[in-house]
Amino acid sequence: MHKPLLIALCAACGPAWAQTPATNPMPDGSHDMYVGLGVRSAPRWDGSAQRKVSALPVLQVQWSNGLFVSGLSAGIHLSDDPTFEYGPLLAVQPGRDESGSGRAADGVGLSLLGPVPEPLRRNAVRATRLEGMDTIGTRLQGGVFANVYLTPRWRVTSSVLVGGGSDRGGARLDLGVQRLAVALGAEHRVALSAGVGIVNRKLNATWFGVTPDEAARSRFDAYAPGGGLQDARVGVRWNWAWSPSWMLTSDLEVRRLLGSAAASPLVERPANVTVSTAIAYRF
Amino acid sequence: MRAPHPLAASFALLLAAAPAAVRAQMQPGEWVSYRDAYRAMVQFEKYGGPKNLLQSQLQVQARDHAALGEGAQLTLSGKASQLNMPLDALGRTVFPLQKAAYDENAALVLNRKGIPFMLRPQVTIAPRADGHYDAADLRVACIQALGFVRYVDASQRARQCAGVRFVFPKKDLAGVRLRREGGSEQALPIASGVAFAGDADDDFPVVTWRFGPGTERAQIVTYDAPLAIVPLFE
Repeated sequence: MHKPLLIALCAACGPAWAQTPATNPMPDGSHDMYVGLGVRSAPRWDGSAQRKVSALPVLQVQWSNGLFVSGLSAGIHLSDDPTFEYGPLLAVQPGRDESGSGRAADGVGLSLLGPVPEPLRRNAVRATRLEGMDTIGTRLQGGVFANVYLTPRWRVTSSVLVGGGSDRGGARLDLGVQRLAVALGAEHRVALSAGVGIVNRKLNATWFGVTPDEAARSRFDAYAPGGGLQDARVGVRWNWAWSPSWMLTSDLEVRRLLGSAAASPLVERPANVTVSTAIAYRF
Repeated sequence: MRAPHPLAASFALLLAAAPAAVRAQMQPGEWVSYRDAYRAMVQFEKYGGPKNLLQSQLQVQARDHAALGEGAQLTLSGKASQLNMPLDALGRTVFPLQKAAYDENAALVLNRKGIPFMLRPQVTIAPRADGHYDAADLRVACIQALGFVRYVDASQRARQCAGVRFVFPKKDLAGVRLRREGGSEQALPIASGVAFAGDADDDFPVVTWRFGPGTERAQIVTYDAPLAIVPLFE
């Protein structure tokens, strides 16, 4: 998918899995937007022992009518109840080629993030170990989200997205809990999150399976994973506000692959860490 | 030792330079985003339940519980928006819901250097000019406040109204009396306490009146204007 189209899609819709911004009431006709740029260090692909560092554009926009964009996801807040959020959700799932996972997305906890472009110096990238595996295309997924606030600071999050995977038959359910905005000093906010992802067989087969053809071309044995629990994750987001307009947003997530995903021959390291930091401007 | 990735190194350089330039315009800890305050304060405006006996204000609280002192005020500061908002003895002011200030991402600045602060919405019972409060009205007002609290905080749904607390200025008080239906009067005890849970100053004269079982025909008579009438939930 071309980037301009991707951005246009996000602008027309809303947030991503586990990245749903909180309801943000504002004057009619107003918006709240973060734009920025940073860096991100992540596994080259899910389960990889190799890492890559890449630039990380930041984008989060919320409009007064409930529309929102957060990274590679977009949605609409349909509820007027401050203790219950729900609505439709669209999310772009980055693809994967022989060099590893493609563009990724992030958020700023209660608020931000954006797509990850190609590494800046491709010639500096070491050869990866996915040679012979089919390329997985970028997919637009659709679904719904629903979040329940146990208190104003604690919310249980959920989302269902379908349309992922190589044949668009993938489905993923995310369940999580978030502690929003713990104030550490006047300018620092820390949000905590934890959750699990449950997928169907088709989605697991796309990302962790090895077809007989791929097995013939690559170093991997054929593998056909089933569905079920795919991963568990914990994360912490730190926002450092320098002024009403400027902030530094940083994120750390530890993700552990589970079930048949963790047993895939593609997985060199089932537990991995993703970190990112970015400077963002609030419009 | 492995050299840092050029991209990460460039970002680290930018990170080292940016905060100083940005923060030179704003002292740390002495501002709050107007948008963030708006988000908290607009909930009362959007609440569709009964609230005619209530009022909503923004309270400034020093993070280190330092006293704000007399003359404290918040200033709404933006390119096109400038508004001074004096704080009352409890650190409260009426929050202006302004689209222009929201759109320009204005700041709320406290005129106290070196005192980081936070903002809290406070919903209280509106005072009456004549100082006479029917017990039934106070009970209804408390129920209205509880309805709003339950609306914004699901964890409060099991709580019930228990009474009200009159908070007065720190001066000699003429007293507060409970006037019953038959005409008998009773002075209510004055104690020292905080206005709101979490406040640092616990030396305000307060009079607490707890609701009795059933309907009570009585009146609370105040001879001094209260700073706040706080609903109590248990």
